[in-house]
Amino acid sequence: MVFTSFNFLIFFPLLVAVYYIAPIKSRWLVLLLFSYFFYINIKPVFSLLLGGVTLSTYVFTRLIDNTTNESGKKAYLIINIILILLPLFFFKYFGQINNSIISLLESVHLRWPLPEIKLILPIGISFYTFMAIGYTIDVYREEIEAEKNLGIVALFISFFPLILSGPIERAKNMLPQFNLLKKLDYEMVVQGLKWMLWGYFMKLVVADRIGIYVEAIYDNLQFHNGTSILFASILYPFQVYSDLGGYSLLAIGTAKVLGINVIQNFNRPFFSTTMSEFWRRWHISLISWLTDYVYTPLSFTFRKYGVWGIVIALLITFMISGIWHGAALTFVVWGFMQGIFLSIEALLKNRRTVFEKKYNLNNKIFYISFGILLTFILFASSQIFGRANNLNDAFLVYRKIFTTSGPLFIGNPSVFIFSLLSLSLLLAKDFTDEFIPGFLLFDSKNKIIRVIAYSSIIILILLIGVFDGGQFIYFKF
Amino acid sequence: MERTELVTKLTAVFRKVFNNDSLVLTDELTANDVDNWDSLSHMLLITEIENTFSIKFKLKDLNKMRKVGDMIDIIMSKF
Amino acid sequence: MVIKKIIFNILIILVVVMTLDFLFGRVLRHYYFKETSGFHYRTTYSMETTDADILIFGSSRANHHYIPELFEDSLKMTFYNTGRDGNGILFQTAVLKSALKRYSPKLIIIDYYGEFIKNDEAFEGLQSLLPYYRTHEEIREFITLKSSNERIKLLSEIYPFNSQILSIAIGNMERNKQRYDDKKGYVPLFTIWPSPIEIISKYEEYPVDTVKVEALRSFLDLAKRAKVRVLVIYSPIFEKFEKKQEIEICRDICSHEDIPFWDYSKDTLFLNHNNLFRDVQHLNDNGAKIFSNLLVSRIKHDLFRSTVNKVSESTSSK
Repeated sequence: MVFTSFNFLIFFPLLVAVYYIAPIKSRWLVLLLFSYFFYINIKPVFSLLLGGVTLSTYVFTRLIDNTTNESGKKAYLIINIILILLPLFFFKYFGQINNSIISLLESVHLRWPLPEIKLILPIGISFYTFMAIGYTIDVYREEIEAEKNLGIVALFISFFPLILSGPIERAKNMLPQFNLLKKLDYEMVVQGLKWMLWGYFMKLVVADRIGIYVEAIYDNLQFHNGTSILFASILYPFQVYSDLGGYSLLAIGTAKVLGINVIQNFNRPFFSTTMSEFWRRWHISLISWLTDYVYTPLSFTFRKYGVWGIVIALLITFMISGIWHGAALTFVVWGFMQGIFLSIEALLKNRRTVFEKKYNLNNKIFYISFGILLTFILFASSQIFGRANNLNDAFLVYRKIFTTSGPLFIGNPSVFIFSLLSLSLLLAKDFTDEFIPGFLLFDSKNKIIRVIAYSSIIILILLIGVFDGGQFIYFKF
Repeated sequence: MERTELVTKLTAVFRKVFNNDSLVLTDELTANDVDNWDSLSHMLLITEIENTFSIKFKLKDLNKMRKVGDMIDIIMSKF
Repeated sequence: MVIKKIIFNILIILVVVMTLDFLFGRVLRHYYFKETSGFHYRTTYSMETTDADILIFGSSRANHHYIPELFEDSLKMTFYNTGRDGNGILFQTAVLKSALKRYSPKLIIIDYYGEFIKNDEAFEGLQSLLPYYRTHEEIREFITLKSSNERIKLLSEIYPFNSQILSIAIGNMERNKQRYDDKKGYVPLFTIWPSPIEIISKYEEYPVDTVKVEALRSFLDLAKRAKVRVLVIYSPIFEKFEKKQEIEICRDICSHEDIPFWDYSKDTLFLNHNNLFRDVQHLNDNGAKIFSNLLVSRIKHDLFRSTVNKVSESTSSK
């Protein structure tokens, strides 16, 4: 979204200049002002909501710290969580709940149509909400002291690199850094810029290009055969990876340039050999958050049920993850599928370990490849629910993949070819990073190679990056 | 209970849960060092420990366990 | 000092990038204008070369519905089809402006399509104008409509040709030229739409975007100011509906500007025959033949009957 707008390319260098010119002690204020400036320019009215969540979190965390009474602490915790979640529920799920109530009224003939109010989701609400809740819980668990400086709390919740699409960070990692900002560090700036460059590549060259093709198929399922739908469904996970992964790199890189360390969000997830491993490498900040604040308390509560307690905890956690992504039934199914995959793996784990040790499979390439392939297939099949516009479409996808075949839809040849080429480049880089760590371009010791590498990527972005939302593919054939 | 006795008993629990008869516990040992010790099996370990030592953990305790050394300290504090 | 090191390194990279950008961009520009077939070639031809008596403007519907050969044979006037897929009224106005800068055609036809609703569709296709920014002063106002930053982005030599590298290569290939031999801009569609006609029973009014209305008006005014006859057409579409807001608006604008508006959306000759359509919005080659012939006789009869005399008067007086 906004990182890839032209205006950001002007905004950011300006911010960096002002930030490093300002005295170290006031840099947090510079960040805070810029973060609100950034947010207000996207949608002024929602910055009030942001401020409200900040204020509430500040007040209640301080109350928790200053109360010795255990039930008092708990009360403050719960009140703040409810206050923070209310706007999230309202905006995100309003539409869905609204429609459900409407159909209910219609079924008893009580519906009296009045003009609809169309709500737009406040940007970043899913992200900063989780960050605020995590912070409150950390204070309650005595893992961190409530921050006394309201401005620092405000900065934590509104920090512009993170606010739009994450990663979801923790107060324990961010507050100390905001309180002790570093002076200009060459290595950090360079690393940040490298991440930003690769983030731009992933988003503009890979994600947005693949997206054009996938959209042409998924928005017109009735016109496409199973072969094309299968192909699009295989591409889609890569689109999400390069989109969210690229965007995360932009966020992390931006923060790094400002001397701030943010958690990595993706770790070459497609080389995972199991779904459990996958979820340690995909959207790491979200899973980490859900593990610490949802899964662990749940599995702890259900621990007397042994493995089945874990299964229930997994299912609930991932269904929450599904709902967090969106207010549609398809996301609930998606979450449920993740829960099932992980539960099955948990239940079979011991037996599998024995089996693997017996035949020494963990070192065999074919077994590793098999694991990678299986994991990808499982994830891609669940992502069909993530992409389909509704449940019917999702089932249509499955039906068509197994029943119809035909020539592969190419559409616009440029889109098709650019997608495959750029994806290959991305996967080649990930492959070498994973299996041939010695092969370096961005990090080569040779300055000439590095400069050529950076320049080539920039030129590639100019040549085939998607700038204006991209051309549509003419699909009605 | 003495610390050494606790460590012996705890080692037996670890070996059982992680199916590893040669596992040796040190204070610095963490989940990264043990095969199959992850968030999925962690709760099984916790339950097994609770049953073996007839204690009950609190959720707050869990978050304080960064390594096996912490775990031992917390278990000790229950007696 | 750290800052010096950072700035110095950024400058090095900037120099390398600018050099590569210049080299690649120039190569792309050279081959863009050397194309002998395809979208780019036809747009360049429309803007820089054609001097046809009759020009048709519009999106894909213009491009696939009007067969120049049929108009030329019957009307004894040259005809060029400037229609281009995925391009809106703003693009069409820009191309018109470039053509009018060079000469005055005898007749301009615009195949209007698209809602006057607030969305980005009118700005579709302005990307196609970027290669012409440098040499065509007259269309620069349209490009700045895209965004205020376009001028900065155009500092890059590659930028106007973003995503075009493959099409430029194909447009230069002799094989492509032979495959799609030049029909004076017209591109025939084949295959037949299999489904029955869609009936749209609901008429929902949408809020009108005055920018779009003004855009159509400027197109018409541009032609009128150049003293060229204009004709607005809504070509056949494979849908049954009672009313479409955009057609009514178009009709209003045309009557206000005193320009003939020919609405073929209800012509049963097309509505009853799915075999004339490639898809809901586009006639196939057979449909285009029938449609073009229909237009030819109507134009002959309605538009040029009186002017045929005027033309012969003015030529004889020269």
